[in-house]
Amino acid sequence: MNTEQLIAALSAEVPRVPRHALAKRIAIGVVAGSLAAMVLVAMVLGIRPDLDIAMRSFAFWMKWTYSLSLAAGAAYAVSRLARPAPGNLRILWLLAVPVLVLLGIGIGELARTPPGEWRALWLGHSWGICPFIVLALAVPIFAGLLWSFRRLAPTRLRAAGAAAGLAAGAWAATIYCLHCGEASAIFVLTWYSLGILLATAIGALLGPRVLRW
Amino acid sequence: MPDGEAELKCLMLAGLDGDATAQAALLRALVPLLRSFYGHRMRGAREDVEDLVQETLIAVHTRRESFDRSRPFTAWLYAVARYRMVDFFRRRRDLVSLETMEMALAESGFLTAESFEEASSARMDVDALLGTLSSKQARAIRDTHVEGKTAAEAAAGAGLSESDVKISVHRGLKALAARIKGSRK
Repeated sequence: MNTEQLIAALSAEVPRVPRHALAKRIAIGVVAGSLAAMVLVAMVLGIRPDLDIAMRSFAFWMKWTYSLSLAAGAAYAVSRLARPAPGNLRILWLLAVPVLVLLGIGIGELARTPPGEWRALWLGHSWGICPFIVLALAVPIFAGLLWSFRRLAPTRLRAAGAAAGLAAGAWAATIYCLHCGEASAIFVLTWYSLGILLATAIGALLGPRVLRW
Repeated sequence: MPDGEAELKCLMLAGLDGDATAQAALLRALVPLLRSFYGHRMRGAREDVEDLVQETLIAVHTRRESFDRSRPFTAWLYAVARYRMVDFFRRRRDLVSLETMEMALAESGFLTAESFEEASSARMDVDALLGTLSSKQARAIRDTHVEGKTAAEAAAGAGLSESDVKISVHRGLKALAARIKGSRK
């Protein structure tokens, strides 16, 4: 096909692109993936029976604030890295803020607990599986984001993959809160974050392969 | 044929609003720009240039959601064009030689870039790439290939011997070429 024919073929179909189309596309990917993750939690793990009571507790909102702020920050990172020439990304250091806040809460928690109980506080009942459940729940969300990227144009594929992994992991952690009854900050800081980090690392590994266009 | 930032951006915005005539005019206006962009860089491999021009037009059309209306059009265009070229080299891995690395670096300098936006974003790409090398190699390459100094000038500036600079450049370029080849395996 010569170039003039190509142009004619391409411009035969010029759908309107709404403002904020990129943000909407990323939101659709995240929401679709998160719904799938929620179904998985409900069917396989079960929603915690005391959810309505838990939702009035500090521990629940501490976990949600942590995972949601990471999730929102990571979604912003995805939206930046989904464009060619994403520019200066120094603002993403703000993603460290929720981690530091939770660390502060965790230190306060340890200070109020006798050292003999620290181990139980840190390991909870589910430290061995928590990171892997978060990672597993991140899979459908990552897949949703891959769909989003199909019409977008990342040029730093490893960074974009890492941001997608981070977003998938943080949204997965948010959804996992619907099942998980662990209530200590130090538990969340270690094991939730480990799951999120695993998702980020796998995203960075896969990025150059799966985000090519 | 419109070729300035203001005219091109105007066509792009109209195309985003669903104006097919503007979109066709935009794509047509991009053809000579992209031919010259790739023409310089591919050293006249005419079929490759035309392939790249077409691939870039398709990307510009199908991935236009990734354009931010509040930012310059040409910066976006050349970022897309540069990505298509890097991907092209990746697909033809054997072509990534020291020579192409040298070319890519030389073109990222301010003197040869088409526009300020392009130059500054190319400069950021180069900074990212050079950041993966040792500081000695990075400095040697930046001096000789981006700033255009001679090996002797670079050696004097860095307080090294001239052969030391040459070796650093050679090893650094080899590492960069290997990185581009290897990173997408």
